[in-house]
Amino acid sequence: MIRDITIGQYYPSDSVLHRLDPRVKLFATMIYVISLFLDKSVIALGTAAIILGLVIVVSKVPLSYIVRGLKPILFLLLFSCVLNMFFTRGETVWWQWKFLTLSEEGLYNAGFMGARLVLLVVGSSLMTFTTTPNQLTDGIEKAFRPLNKLHLPVHEFAMMMSIALRFIPILTEELDKIMKAQAARCAGFEEGNLIEKAKGLVPIMIPLFVSAIRRANDLALAMEARCYRGGEGRTKLYPLYYKKRDYMGYGCILLYLAGMIALKVL
Amino acid sequence: MIKAEHITFEYIRRDEEQNVVEIQTALKDVTLHIKKGEFVAILGHNGSGKSTFAKHVNAILTPEEGSLYVNGMDTKELDKLYEIRQNAGMVFQNPDNQIIATVVEEDVAFGPENMGVPTGTIRDRVKRSLQAVNMWHRRKDSPNKLSGGQKQRVAIAGIMAMEPECIVLDEPTAMLDPAGRWDVIHTAKQLNQEKGITILLITHNMDEAIEADRVVVMSSGEVVMGGTPKEIFSRVEELNRLGLEVPFATRMAYQLQKAGLAIASGVLTEQELISELNRLAKEKGIDKNALKERHPQYYRNPPAKYQSKGAEELMKEVSLIFNHVGYRYGTGTLYEKQALKDVNLTFTKGEFVGIVGHTGSGKSTLIQHMNGLLKPDEGTIYFCGQDISEKDYSLKELRSRVGLSFQYPEHQLFENTVYEDVAYGPKNLGWAELKIEKNSFDAIKLVGLPDDCYDLSPFQLSGGQKRRVAIAGILAMEPDFLVLDEPTAGLDPKGRDEILGQVANICQERGITVVLVSHSMEDIANYVDRMIVIDDGEIRYNDVPERVFAHGEELREMGLAVPKVTDFMEQITRNGYPACPYVIREQEAVDIIVSWFLGSNNR
Repeated sequence: MIRDITIGQYYPSDSVLHRLDPRVKLFATMIYVISLFLDKSVIALGTAAIILGLVIVVSKVPLSYIVRGLKPILFLLLFSCVLNMFFTRGETVWWQWKFLTLSEEGLYNAGFMGARLVLLVVGSSLMTFTTTPNQLTDGIEKAFRPLNKLHLPVHEFAMMMSIALRFIPILTEELDKIMKAQAARCAGFEEGNLIEKAKGLVPIMIPLFVSAIRRANDLALAMEARCYRGGEGRTKLYPLYYKKRDYMGYGCILLYLAGMIALKVL
Repeated sequence: MIKAEHITFEYIRRDEEQNVVEIQTALKDVTLHIKKGEFVAILGHNGSGKSTFAKHVNAILTPEEGSLYVNGMDTKELDKLYEIRQNAGMVFQNPDNQIIATVVEEDVAFGPENMGVPTGTIRDRVKRSLQAVNMWHRRKDSPNKLSGGQKQRVAIAGIMAMEPECIVLDEPTAMLDPAGRWDVIHTAKQLNQEKGITILLITHNMDEAIEADRVVVMSSGEVVMGGTPKEIFSRVEELNRLGLEVPFATRMAYQLQKAGLAIASGVLTEQELISELNRLAKEKGIDKNALKERHPQYYRNPPAKYQSKGAEELMKEVSLIFNHVGYRYGTGTLYEKQALKDVNLTFTKGEFVGIVGHTGSGKSTLIQHMNGLLKPDEGTIYFCGQDISEKDYSLKELRSRVGLSFQYPEHQLFENTVYEDVAYGPKNLGWAELKIEKNSFDAIKLVGLPDDCYDLSPFQLSGGQKRRVAIAGILAMEPDFLVLDEPTAGLDPKGRDEILGQVANICQERGITVVLVSHSMEDIANYVDRMIVIDDGEIRYNDVPERVFAHGEELREMGLAVPKVTDFMEQITRNGYPACPYVIREQEAVDIIVSWFLGSNNR
């Protein structure tokens, strides 16, 4: 069912990680991703994995929930592993067939890349697991506020994001309804060749666009009626203020980065 | 508070070259004063200009001629714009399209945030507003999880948080079920009485207007009547001419008056009508107990029970059979829900069947099984004796023979012209060109659309006309069954009567089985031969409406209602009049009451 899709797989809990300011988490995710590409040693990767493991424990998000989040990238993961395994030119060749070679280095590479990809995805999804889409939007808006000076519409972008989050479920439901309604008029979306299939989409896409535009129109009116006039002079129900734990968070991240750099240099 | 002085407004439609194609006068010289603390209802049929007026109060539109003042501020003054919008908040029709945030409390905070209210004050206001509409306990929820009525209450709270002196509600109940409607109107009334907020309610539902201090009636852009509900609703015939209807008790009183009963004018509620009847009974010295003997045919014999034809007989004709059907949503997930439980139903040719159930009872799941959009998890569905779940069964043929129109079917229109849109279904069936043409033209005529609309864009038509185009698109496939989900939602009384009248005609003349899903018990009582009540996925009643509506208690427990007239007859029974449990149509009630009172005169 289309409507079962949920955006942002927030896992409600009350861990320290959940309470952390979203800006700290954004920063942490960025640093973590960078640190993964700093060094190509097993020790560095192992340290990153252990740290991530600790953070997962602190976050109180069950491991099974995290593993389930890896499902969509399973194919990509296998693909990159296989690619690395057979296309890396190594010295200790175990097996060869035409342009495919299986070497020790290839196997090592495949394992390393796979592990790195898993850490990358788990690390960044940990942010969406512990941050509501709302907090995330708020965090992005505030973190990138300095860009306002460069006349980048940061507030508008954040507002668009939050409206999108609100309307995606409504529009998917609408799409489901329109598809059913056209199916009731004997529409065949899945019949025929590519061109016929594309034509079959017209009766679905036009009503969907019309509906999206109608909703956008209504929403704009409702926002205007509630005195919306852009980001200037707006206050917040829950403004973001750094607390002690947030500064400690930043401290931990910088310490981690320093450690990773040290590992590389030494 | 609000002063409209001779305001005029026109909608101008232009073509691609900016030439004026059409001018529609939406407001014509409207003068209207609304005092602080008043509850004013503006009534009018669709297109009467009432919503245009509402948008003027909030300065979304400004008058072309004349002026509108909110608290002395002219809406044309740009520097006062936000002060005006804050003073006169507006709640719109569609609950989904006016909630901005993904969390209830954040949405309520949206207005004050825009106004630059300090954080601490915003929190106080959010709390007070959500408490005022009784939604504080849902503050952390996603709006998507709320019912329509709850969403509208959140929208009202969002306006309340801006601390306005006036709230304009623009058809806030048009898209809600009866429970949601009551919720919203009750909330508005409460805010008016307890917080002294001026309420301007735009509606075409007369029962909601009874609560108002003052009623203003609009028609083709002009104010045509104004006064207390009592004054306005005693002008029954005038209102009917304007495409409006009066509240139930007023309608009954009017009918009784016409039949010769000396009932005072201006009756608004059932209670008032009962006291009038009691007064009359006393004056005439009528013994209520003796009335039992009079005209017993009305209330003594219950109508015959509905009997389905036998399965074997049904299998041979055009019929739809549900045999122990069960259906589950989201199998294996947290959201798993048994939407249908052991459903056994039959539908035969030429019947007019009503389906009733509150939102989420499974009625929408049920009708989607009728044309194979959903397949049963348990049990079997037979159409004309064939199992529709079988692999080689043609769903296309089934769907052409069981036409299904969803709620707001006009949202599925997509073609350039009315004709092409109607012909979409027949084309999918691969019929010959000539047959497609003939059927499409027939269908357009059948739903009562004017001849000159064939080549118009469906998006150009009015709401009621669009809906007819959508229904014509189903009829053009020559179905044996026509399943309609809430075909009258959002239409005004005139539009509703026209569509239902046409559907009833189609049922009778063409012998098409009609299945009508409706929230309106009046529509069910007036039109169907048999009604099905579904609750929590189970069929609770499947019988003639007279017999089903005699179970008032049980229906109320399911969150449903009985027709107002049935409820009224129950009430007068409690006042000592003979019991008439099988009355579901207003004319029957009038006949019975007239026979009680005038019968005794004649003796």
